[in-house]
Amino acid sequence: MRGRPNLFTSYESDQAMLNTTTKKVILFTLLAFLVLLPFTGGGGPGNVRLFDWTIPGFGWLAAESWLQLMGTVCIFGIAALGLNLLTGLAGQVSLGHAFFMGIGAYTAAWLGAAEGPLLGMGMPIWIWLPAAGLVAAGVGVLVGPTAVRVRGLYLAIVTLGLVFIGEYFFRNWRTLTGGSQAGRDFPRLQVRFWKEEAALIDTTADGSWLTTNGKGFLFLLFLLVVFALLAKNIQRTRTGRAFQAIRDRDVAAEIMGVNEFRYKLLAFGLSSFYAGVAGALLAAYFGRTIPERWDLFLSVQLIAILLIGGAGTTSGAILGSAFVIMLPRFVQNGTEWLKGQIAEGGIIATIADPIIATSNTDFGLINTLPGTGPGLSVLQLNQVLYGLLIILFLIFEPFGLYGIWLRIRNYWKGWPFTY
Amino acid sequence: MKWLALMLVFGLVAAACGSSSETTEAPADTEAPAATEAPAATEAPAATEAPTDTEAMMDIATDFGVDLDAGVIRVGMLSDLTGPFGPLVSAILAGTQAYWDGVNAAGGVNGLQVELVVRDTVYVIDNHIAFYEEIKDDVVALGHSTGSPHTVAINPQLQADGMLAIPLTWYSGWSDPAINANLLSHGTPYCVEAHNTLGYITTEALPDSTTIAIASVPGDYGQDSAQGAKLAAEAAGLEVVYDGEGAIIPTDETTLTAVADGIVDSGADIVWVATTPSTMSSIYGQALAQGFEAVWSGPSPSFSPAFVAPDSAIKDAFTRDFIGGTYTSLWSDDATSALGEQLAEAGLPPSDYYFEGVVEAQIMHAALLKAYENGDMTRAGVLAAGKSLDNVDFGGIAPSEAYAGDAADRLQRQGTVYKPDPDGLAAGTSGGTVSLATNYTSDLAANFDFTGACYTLGG
Repeated sequence: MRGRPNLFTSYESDQAMLNTTTKKVILFTLLAFLVLLPFTGGGGPGNVRLFDWTIPGFGWLAAESWLQLMGTVCIFGIAALGLNLLTGLAGQVSLGHAFFMGIGAYTAAWLGAAEGPLLGMGMPIWIWLPAAGLVAAGVGVLVGPTAVRVRGLYLAIVTLGLVFIGEYFFRNWRTLTGGSQAGRDFPRLQVRFWKEEAALIDTTADGSWLTTNGKGFLFLLFLLVVFALLAKNIQRTRTGRAFQAIRDRDVAAEIMGVNEFRYKLLAFGLSSFYAGVAGALLAAYFGRTIPERWDLFLSVQLIAILLIGGAGTTSGAILGSAFVIMLPRFVQNGTEWLKGQIAEGGIIATIADPIIATSNTDFGLINTLPGTGPGLSVLQLNQVLYGLLIILFLIFEPFGLYGIWLRIRNYWKGWPFTY
Repeated sequence: MKWLALMLVFGLVAAACGSSSETTEAPADTEAPAATEAPAATEAPAATEAPTDTEAMMDIATDFGVDLDAGVIRVGMLSDLTGPFGPLVSAILAGTQAYWDGVNAAGGVNGLQVELVVRDTVYVIDNHIAFYEEIKDDVVALGHSTGSPHTVAINPQLQADGMLAIPLTWYSGWSDPAINANLLSHGTPYCVEAHNTLGYITTEALPDSTTIAIASVPGDYGQDSAQGAKLAAEAAGLEVVYDGEGAIIPTDETTLTAVADGIVDSGADIVWVATTPSTMSSIYGQALAQGFEAVWSGPSPSFSPAFVAPDSAIKDAFTRDFIGGTYTSLWSDDATSALGEQLAEAGLPPSDYYFEGVVEAQIMHAALLKAYENGDMTRAGVLAAGKSLDNVDFGGIAPSEAYAGDAADRLQRQGTVYKPDPDGLAAGTSGGTVSLATNYTSDLAANFDFTGACYTLGG
């Protein structure tokens, strides 16, 4: 039906993943932009990128450190998509996501890391990455039945316990994890057919068109897209609807014939699979991790991603990851910019001066100066911001960033008749 | 609800402004309490010669972090300012900053002002790697890199980039030439330090001791130190009556009780604990409450001046029982008095930790001067210069270091042995410590046959 937006004449077109032209245009523009980004911005010393020009207005985003940050966003995106299946769709609150990520990471290490003093078999990525997901999923299925018995806050406590049990095991299984505060090396993101061959895709060395971080980002972006498609499709199927029925009212769902036990188990399994893969990718991306990495803070960070992004939506999980992971960098750059302004003087300096401490005798909310002065450090400020944002979003916008996007979209859809 | 969208837009605009200024470095902080004095004579490699002529400067090769036109050298600092070692590293960094403020006020490094690019890693490896990636093209070298696993994690990248780094950890594995190709480690490694301090105790303080209890946190720091203590005990003929290597888990209160009970039950003459300050006070306090008495000892991070502060409950007992080891001279030593005055003038309270920061800065200073002399201030040039230093003298603040030649030959065995000093701390004349022996090498440490890392970080 050309020229008649939002008129769906079949169930298929209504349920299509990209059911409007706007969605298609936005998604493909964004993807094209992200794929192009790491190729641009060459020309600097020792640079190997294909193009010397930059995308107008976004040259800064092509910088190495931003590409690396966006790679991290992709990994957290995959983890958040998994948590979204469990918490957002099926309504089972879980604080144990970090535990499953840890399981995935150490499965990857066991299978994929080079043979050495610690456990490692040197297998290629196409074995260790799926295995990381599968082993985590297996553990998730074992944990799942508790969710049938306990729900809500009680389930949160059970899964919270998992994180601590996991940390204990990870800390003490030295031959696998390298031990507390020491850690181990992980397999890197290199694609090869078998053990000793030269890598077909190697994200740990500059290529002829792309830098290390560019390759890493594209590799992870590809995985994110695959996992997002998978998640979106699960959401649209019978399984996804069963999850939502359980979330909305589990007793009612069961009366309608939804097998609660089976679907809760499935939700845990699927979510843990995502977590396992994300954990393996996170460890492999950074190359070295200590057992303390898989702690409660990581779980909380993922919950924050869901709540800020918008629970229950695929795009919300990804938006939330981008927001939560990139926020610290924005805050830091903002603080440094303000610090520069204070040194220069002027109207912004007058406003910024009480906010930022520039010496150990100067008072300010944010302390940019190393040493013993008062004030919050930039990273402490970030933690405060996470908390504040979760509260604000829960009160004012329970649908998260996705909800804000919906409002903006609906405003313009009806424009100029917005009432 | 429109205001919410407005806020979001405003936020995005503000964020964009922040990020676009990424490359605009803040100018040197004019408000900072820069020491206006010329650097004290003790600040060894300070070269405050006449302003350099531009001709000579043009001949100097540069790539990252050195801007000859702006007259700036940028040095990166990957610090733990708010993590488990936050209070310690903050003080170290304050020492580094004060040193460079002094150098800059006196004309800088051959006319070039040194700026620090500081990032707070919170002692998290991911942050460490990400921040390295962020600042690496803005800096010529890393003035310090906090944490052993963290430094190991960026090591491949350091080697690929040809970047010099000073590890802020005393892991004995840095002596391995395969690992330290880009590192300028300094000070007595944890393992050797245990030999040194225990050597002092078994000869000077408690010659008739026969037993030792050992406890530590897991990881490079705790276990390297615990391994050293075990080797030292064997060499000194001490029987290890309690072995709690890696048994202290800072986040788990029950492990502290278990370790304290184990120490008390062992009835050891000497207790060696390599841990964090907060856990040390808890373990010591629990053992004390059970009436246990022994000579307690441990490496520098186990001690905190707060233990002997006027309001501390364990002040008197701890002063009686504790003998510690550290890497630099103390605030109360004569060797640091000139520097201490300068730090005090900058508004910093007495503390021993500044001098570690000063030592790091002096190593970097020497490397930068040498690189300038060689006419090559590229990253690789600074690395080569640093690795060719055959004598870095710290003017008595710390035993001198050499980086040229074989790594095994230049293992640092000297250190400072100290005891707590509550009176000095209360009076503001010491950082809570007073030395028993400076630039000291015990026989135990001198005779220690060091063949490689006492504790291996998992591969």
